[in-house]
Amino acid sequence: MRRVPWAILLALFAGLGLGVVYSWMIAPRGAVDTKPTVLRADFKDQYRGAIAASFAATGNLPRAQARLSLIGDPDSIEALNSQAQRMIASGEFTQADQLAALALALENGYASFSVPTPTLESLDNVSVEPSITLPPPPPSEDLPFQFTETPELVETPIVETQAVVDNPTPRPTRTLIPTVGAPFALIAQDTVCDTNFPDGLLQVIVFNSRRRQVAGAKIIIAWENGQEEFFTGLKPEIGNGYADFSMSPNVTYALRLAAGSDIAAGLVAPTCQTPGGEDFLGGVKLTFQQP
Amino acid sequence: MKLRWLFILIALITGIAAGVAYGWIIDPVEFYDLTPDTLRADYRADYVLMVAEAYRAEQDAGLAARRLALFGAQSPSSIAADGLSFARSSGFGDSDIALMQELVTAMQAWSGINP
Repeated sequence: MRRVPWAILLALFAGLGLGVVYSWMIAPRGAVDTKPTVLRADFKDQYRGAIAASFAATGNLPRAQARLSLIGDPDSIEALNSQAQRMIASGEFTQADQLAALALALENGYASFSVPTPTLESLDNVSVEPSITLPPPPPSEDLPFQFTETPELVETPIVETQAVVDNPTPRPTRTLIPTVGAPFALIAQDTVCDTNFPDGLLQVIVFNSRRRQVAGAKIIIAWENGQEEFFTGLKPEIGNGYADFSMSPNVTYALRLAAGSDIAAGLVAPTCQTPGGEDFLGGVKLTFQQP
Repeated sequence: MKLRWLFILIALITGIAAGVAYGWIIDPVEFYDLTPDTLRADYRADYVLMVAEAYRAEQDAGLAARRLALFGAQSPSSIAADGLSFARSSGFGDSDIALMQELVTAMQAWSGINP
């Protein structure tokens, strides 16, 4: 009967142990060729911000979805909305708008705002006459948006596109005012449980059909024994289309836009819990948009 | 006797090699909270493409440079150029490459001083 080579087996296992200790503790393989899932939270925010900015520019929702999946958020919409709130709090409204627009598009399954790209007509003109430029901005009444949509940016011939970029259309920055149009639709109603906000805060954000915030929109809120009116745009540091109202506990409210909108009924300040298990009065966030 | 010690030595070296392979390849240490400069080249290139897509619409070179600064110490133009180089070698679409080329040009022209 052959003897078991204990010494050799012992050397093998000792070597195995030494190798594992070396590769895990002494010289672990460096963090290279990593995926966005392992990025630090603030870098993930920047990555998400770039995805939203890219989506705002192209309107390419499948591509944005694929990119968001790389970050590995359990709920991309929630992550986008949460980051948008933080951006609003820190005064970065443009980025907040882009993030909110992407979150909305993910919820709806399509891009619900216009993508600021040159018109096909202008591109055709460029191809025929390379020296031609985009038309000048329209008169002041029409200033808000002279862009028209074209979802075909990816298919745009390179030369033509570059010719357009050489003559970028000026982008107006006028604050929008509400105009008579289709009634506003209540497109989102979210419960906000965030201890950073005042108790019972009712936030209202109003967008026009081009996904731009609308200042000066009159909001009517009513409850059992009273009614009050307030307007968007009084807190421009948060957003031109933003307005808020402080809800009392155990009071049910109904809210609508004076210009005509869906009625958000049955609004009650929700009871939320802190991570430590303490109850506090949460808020509600309503988003209206003109179809 | 010498042959026995030789076998023990071979077993030890084999064990070490297997242990290192296990720790480096099969079950490497997982890292979290990393910086973007550790991202794989294709993710970096896609990030550059995102910035290029946004730049096309925004035409704000300073903003694009700030976005590219995510990758750390390299200059924005070299980050964009690296992304473009990867895109060219990896068969990105012509329109994507054109966007990145435009970004590289803008970053090369960008002085770093906002008006």
